[in-house]
Amino acid sequence: MKSFTATDAQPGFGSTIDLNRETVDRKSLEEQFERILSAHGPALSRLAASYTSTVSDRDDLVQETAFAIWQALPHFRGDCSERTFAFRIAHNRAIAHLSRNREQKIDPLEEVELRDPAPGPESDFSRRQRAETLRTAVRGLPLAYRQVIVLTLEGLGYREIAAVLGISESNVGARLTRARQLLQDALENRK
Amino acid sequence: MNADTELESWREEWQSEASIPADLHRNVERQSLQMRLLLIADTVVTIVIGGGSTAWALLSKDPGVALVAVAAWIFLAAAWIFVFTVNRRLWRPSAIDAAAFIDLSVRRCEGALKAVWFAGILFVAEIAFDLSWIYVRSNLQQSWWRWLLFGSLRTDIVWICTVVFFILLVWYRRRKSRELARLLGLREEILGD
Repeated sequence: MKSFTATDAQPGFGSTIDLNRETVDRKSLEEQFERILSAHGPALSRLAASYTSTVSDRDDLVQETAFAIWQALPHFRGDCSERTFAFRIAHNRAIAHLSRNREQKIDPLEEVELRDPAPGPESDFSRRQRAETLRTAVRGLPLAYRQVIVLTLEGLGYREIAAVLGISESNVGARLTRARQLLQDALENRK
Repeated sequence: MNADTELESWREEWQSEASIPADLHRNVERQSLQMRLLLIADTVVTIVIGGGSTAWALLSKDPGVALVAVAAWIFLAAAWIFVFTVNRRLWRPSAIDAAAFIDLSVRRCEGALKAVWFAGILFVAEIAFDLSWIYVRSNLQQSWWRWLLFGSLRTDIVWICTVVFFILLVWYRRRKSRELARLLGLREEILGD
């Protein structure tokens, strides 16, 4: 995966951002940016993977998200956690990505035909198979439920999910209940 | 399984994705590009050899030349069947995780090693057919083995090309074997297989 650093984003910024940069300590912004990416990079990558069907699309989306985080960082006033901030941007970028690639078809299940080098009860292979089946099943969920379940699987609580998606906590609960039912059904169907 | 246990189990599985080593990712992308270029090269060879031999047969109206065209298409068909069989499921990883990338690289390596054997056998078959055809058509009086070894500069060039081809094949096979061993080691290191 391509790495994204703060310096990658320097050229081409608008004047508003440049003005903000003058008043904010650039070094601390860069440190904050690196900290967010190193803490949440894998989660953002998994989130991007749940909205894309190819490696290059996933990488593009991760890059776009990182760029958007860097652009938004000067405006971040700490009114939510860095994780919520990063996930909110990631979700916005993912929605923008989906709207640009409306025709994109996500395979319901690209069957994994890995050969098991060491068959046995609960081998590493079968765990990987289950994880892959779960990821594919999540990718197949309708968007509203996919958003909630992905954030839940990343360890966000109702309040954080509500903040990321801009919906009420009760709505998060309702969507999550339905998302779990759909996911259970999808996983059952794949057995 | 109660609801919370199920969710926790899903969470573990969801977050279990091992990160893809950058060099492995680059390697897979480079191989994908090479596979596309090879496919284009195979298509060009098919058009040139198949089309050329067919045109030659049609223009000459000689049954012997028609035999060459038929043989050329048989060899080409065998090559394409092999390519499609081996390349099946080698175009992209089955998932976006380290396991799938390593698995794809391992399968590509195994495919390349099979291709070495196939290329060797196909080359021998083609050379055997071509030399037999030339020998029969030349209507020579000398014995075939004497013609093969000392017949002409043309047969000497064929032998030199054969030697060079097999040296390259052995070199490529060793390279791919080393790569396969490295990948299997990497798989063990990353995934604990």
